[in-house]
Amino acid sequence: MSNGPLKNKVFVSLLGAVTFMFFFSFMLVPLYNVFCEVTGLNGKIYGPSDFFKKNNETYERQVNIRFLSTVNGSAPVTFYPSETNLEVMTDKVSKTSYIATNNTNKRLTLSIVPSVSPGLAAENVKKIQCFCFSEQTLEPYETQEWAVRFYVDSELSENVNNVYLSYTLFEKEREEMLAVNHEH
Amino acid sequence: MSAVVENHNHHDDHHHGPKKGIMRWLTTTNHKDIGTLYLWFSFAAFLLGGAFAMGIRAELFEPGLQLMDPIRYNQLVTMHGLIMIFGGVMPAFVGLANWLIPLQIGAPDMAMPRMNNLSFWLLPTAFAILLSTAFMEGGMPGFGWTFYAPLSTNYPNVAYFVFAIHIMGASSIMGSINVIVTIMNMRAPGMTLMKMPLFVWSWLITAYLLIAVMPVLAGAVTMLLMDAYFGTSFFDAAGGGDPVLFQHVFWFFGHPEVYIMILPAFGITSHIISTFSRKPLFGHSSMVYAMVSIAVLSFVVWAHHMFTVGMPLVAELFFMWATMLIAIPTGVKVFNWCATIFKGSITYETPMLFSIAFVVLFTIGGFSGLMLAITPADFQYHDTYFVVAHFHYVLVPGAVFSIMAAVYYWLPKWTGNMYDEKMGRLHFWLSFAGVNITFFPQHFVGLAGMPRRYADYALQFAEWNAVSSVGAFLFGLSQLLFLYIVVKTVFAGKKATPQVWDGADGLEWTVDSPAPYHTFDVPPKVK
Repeated sequence: MSNGPLKNKVFVSLLGAVTFMFFFSFMLVPLYNVFCEVTGLNGKIYGPSDFFKKNNETYERQVNIRFLSTVNGSAPVTFYPSETNLEVMTDKVSKTSYIATNNTNKRLTLSIVPSVSPGLAAENVKKIQCFCFSEQTLEPYETQEWAVRFYVDSELSENVNNVYLSYTLFEKEREEMLAVNHEH
Repeated sequence: MSAVVENHNHHDDHHHGPKKGIMRWLTTTNHKDIGTLYLWFSFAAFLLGGAFAMGIRAELFEPGLQLMDPIRYNQLVTMHGLIMIFGGVMPAFVGLANWLIPLQIGAPDMAMPRMNNLSFWLLPTAFAILLSTAFMEGGMPGFGWTFYAPLSTNYPNVAYFVFAIHIMGASSIMGSINVIVTIMNMRAPGMTLMKMPLFVWSWLITAYLLIAVMPVLAGAVTMLLMDAYFGTSFFDAAGGGDPVLFQHVFWFFGHPEVYIMILPAFGITSHIISTFSRKPLFGHSSMVYAMVSIAVLSFVVWAHHMFTVGMPLVAELFFMWATMLIAIPTGVKVFNWCATIFKGSITYETPMLFSIAFVVLFTIGGFSGLMLAITPADFQYHDTYFVVAHFHYVLVPGAVFSIMAAVYYWLPKWTGNMYDEKMGRLHFWLSFAGVNITFFPQHFVGLAGMPRRYADYALQFAEWNAVSSVGAFLFGLSQLLFLYIVVKTVFAGKKATPQVWDGADGLEWTVDSPAPYHTFDVPPKVK
């Protein structure tokens, strides 16, 4: 091609399409998160809830909340809910806690990811305070009690009487060579 | 269509012939040479991927672990998938495109010959990188060709896999751009879009699909690489990412990819069935519209691969109906092929045998696909051998049979020699028996609950797995016969006429056999 392919309209527009689709694949990440946030699919929960903006024109009913815990992989942590289930009234704030113990002689940084099942109830379970909002640190052999304050709003579908609130604990970081650090 | 071709043999001395020796193949910009390179590369990949499949079936011949540990087994499964898809089927179709598109539209070559050379030579590079992991500590990738995160991000040598996929993707994208630019700009005068042969049409649509989804695959593996080595958490729940997102991104590429591997087969089958029925194809335009509809629908059905991840009812219903909708344009195509055969003067040469088997067996694969599309039933079938049977029915007697049919059909045009018809038919019948003995029993064990991707299985599946393995060895061995037939035809055989098949229609049959190194220096006129 003596005049060069960049003068060819079809070629240039196809090159543009390829570039667009490459960046589109990265756009899928925020699009997916926004989609899940708007629809409440996938049981994903986003940040603390603004409790006081709610209007209170809806009726109250009782819902059974069950608490689950999972330790991901082989994280050396004992992690369990202090209560396995709780009968709560909708729109009433309840409090419970999870207990975590570090089984090593090293400082651990942990992140805990919540999930709600059934997925469509995720937008109705509102957390005001949660240990999952930030990373947690456990000193060697330390046990901590982590509080959760939440309410279930009354827009919860009438078909749902049992809601599972599940936390998965991930080990983010382990402080290596703690003994050496003390010597310094 | 009919064409007026001027004879330009006396111009031959103006051309530079091909270079001698290895440099001819390394530096060639000739579409016929590059087509040949692609086809031989895909044949080699087909045999290598087939060898891996033989390893898989040998291990599954009886329950228990006999030949390899589960890690090695998973590596074989993964590499079998990657090699067959990215090294076997796709390069074979690109090779056919290189050989046939310029000949069928009356163009002298592809639009960008140097890029064409680059896009071929990237492929051996990519596979060298991918296969080099076999000799490394940690070994070959073993996370399945779908490389679901976070399994794949925690795997050794994943960077080699990622770079190999990047390079293969670049090769495919360049190939597709070349195909589209060639078709858009270099058709012979008088060849309107609707007059284009169906193989060219099928490749035009395929090339658009590739341009839309290969960059998405590149994005997916890039995110994977960043998760594995640069501390991001696109797919890692611990850092706020989501493993299900990976499946969405992957299958947004993966489902159109499925049609990338079957649309050119539709084009090939249309040519061959029309030739050996000695009738023009029934419903040329409806074939084009059907392929366009399939291509468009392929972008909105991806989540049927992941019905069990926990989607809401509305999404499950949407993806179920959208998937079933694809049966309509596909049904149109199958109907048109049957209507072409109807009342034709049929002869059963090897290409026709492969094409008829394609229509029948691909339709069986399509029906099991419809069964899988039914969401509530899919919860039962998901990740069982029923799925394995389904996609092998659409890929082996689907895509692979159509490639074999194409090779037999156009081989006389490429080499100037007729292949051995008796041997060709023997190859067909052995392959036909082998494929069905291998994959049909997998429907049964799948429905009975045998899961995919395991090196071992429960005792009640033993008989059908033994049958399946015997069929696989038969199919595998009969491909050596195919290799023998092709090599023999390259070097010897009855001389072919330019027309080759008496029912064949199209510009490629107006040039000599073998096709001269340079064709259509002066574009033919299409009426």
